[in-house]
Amino acid sequence: MTAQHNGVVIDVSFAEAFPMKATRILITAHNATWAMNAAVSATGFATSVIACGCEAGVERTLGPDETPDGRPGVSVLIFSMSGKELAKQIERRVGQCVLTCPTTAVYAGIAEGEAVALGRNLRFFGDGWQISKVIDGVRYWRVPVMDGEFVAQETTAVTKAVGGGNLLFMATDVDAALAVSEAAVAAMKRLPNVVMPFPGGVVRSGSKVGSKYASLSASTNDAYCPTLYGLVDKTQITPDTRCVMEVVIDGLTEADVAAAMKAGIQAGISIGRAGGLVRIGAGNYGGKLGPFHFHLHKLLP
Amino acid sequence: MTAVRIELTLRQAPPLRVDLRGLLPATLADLTVAQIEQLPCGHGNHSVPLGEWFSVQRHEIDGDQSALRLVGDCSRFDRIGTGLQAGQLTVEGPAGDYVGAGMTGGELLVQGDAGLLAACEMAGGRLQVQGSVGDWAASALPGGMDGMRGGSFIVGGDAGERFGDRMRRGTAVIHGRAGDLLASRMVAGTIAVAGPVGARPGYGMRRGSLVLAGPACTPGPTFVPAIADVPVAWQLLARSLARHGGAFATLAQRRMQRHLGDLSAQGKGELILVEP
Repeated sequence: MTAQHNGVVIDVSFAEAFPMKATRILITAHNATWAMNAAVSATGFATSVIACGCEAGVERTLGPDETPDGRPGVSVLIFSMSGKELAKQIERRVGQCVLTCPTTAVYAGIAEGEAVALGRNLRFFGDGWQISKVIDGVRYWRVPVMDGEFVAQETTAVTKAVGGGNLLFMATDVDAALAVSEAAVAAMKRLPNVVMPFPGGVVRSGSKVGSKYASLSASTNDAYCPTLYGLVDKTQITPDTRCVMEVVIDGLTEADVAAAMKAGIQAGISIGRAGGLVRIGAGNYGGKLGPFHFHLHKLLP
Repeated sequence: MTAVRIELTLRQAPPLRVDLRGLLPATLADLTVAQIEQLPCGHGNHSVPLGEWFSVQRHEIDGDQSALRLVGDCSRFDRIGTGLQAGQLTVEGPAGDYVGAGMTGGELLVQGDAGLLAACEMAGGRLQVQGSVGDWAASALPGGMDGMRGGSFIVGGDAGERFGDRMRRGTAVIHGRAGDLLASRMVAGTIAVAGPVGARPGYGMRRGSLVLAGPACTPGPTFVPAIADVPVAWQLLARSLARHGGAFATLAQRRMQRHLGDLSAQGKGELILVEP
């Protein structure tokens, strides 16, 4: 059974998501541009845990009144499959992308949860000139650098999170699929506690589990490839759906991912069949891989 | 949950000094009024029951933190709140020497002045003296290697000499003036003073932050002026200190000049002179 909204078919399907570990860090700088430079760099090459080690993205920009030091900032969410891997990614990314970026400082954006190192090990860059400062029970490290001081909170907190929420937009052509995906990502970005880790929030290489090659655990989702229409047995492609884009969502809680998916579905429906959107579906593995199931029909406006 | 509030009202001032160590909210909570009155206190060379000096009242209250109130001029009672770990202790009047020494938690409020060595070797909790404190506050006990090493210590009035000697961690705030050799041999931590300070502030300090928000003073010859701004660390510190109000309320908006030293020690400390 399917439902149509503004001419768009909503599949009777669900997105299957899985537990992850996450943290939020706040990056501030002399101005918003340099805070964003650091954030973009720190969240680069972080699209999928399959090969990046983590999935990360910019959550939102922060005004001077929202940051610990009164400067403009950016909040960043980083997700990984284990706390240990997450700790490794935080250290590498903050060390190489935030410590190095002019005028930045970095703070924990989550208070509750297991503490992992943020500035604790980066302080050794100071070669003995680093200074510890405990303010209101929170330890900060002040590391001398060539533009002054790099200030980093000693630890950040790791919390349980949900990764792999997704929507599949099936459209008449590339223009329509991009327009819908961009609108959905824009709607999701207005919500807190979620990031869409792929380039521009959109992924065109949706995958299925397994491959004909033994060494690969995932391979192209041939059922959604328009170039394989007429070649594969169980295709999801029809003559009027010639381009499919996926938006993947990682969030701090199940409710956050659900809210983002709801906003994405709403954005797609608003564009409607007239805008080229034919179907909205979701990726799952039969319900066996992840404990979080986001049924599209329960998310309808 | 019920807790206990115990009120000790001073009946007469003792002729000699009295040692009140061990008189803590959590310790007294399980005792009856009669048992509290029989608690031995050192008075000169003798041990005298507490009831000799104080009348005792005991009330059950809502909450999970027991409270102890000492009412009257306790300036001859030493070591009030020594080793305090939890609960609230209030002195409605002045207190003697060693108030809050070695406390690790809880809240201690002195509504008058305090004597020598207040908050010495304090490691946690919050100690507020609304009046002034004597010499060697927030410092080490005689023979001790480290002074104050944690918690918050707020002085509403003035502080004597050698405030924060060998202080290692924590935050101490003085709303009035401070005596000579403020933060001498300081190892680390934060001391902020709203009023004028005496001779040689930061003498021999190795690390730590000394914030002087009062009239301009000249750092000693073993301090060097810093040419680089540290806006982030200053904002974090100033915003935290601003919560103490008074002269500190506007710290984050004021300009400051840093001096590094003491170069005769390790030289990693900072003396922050805040401009008006």
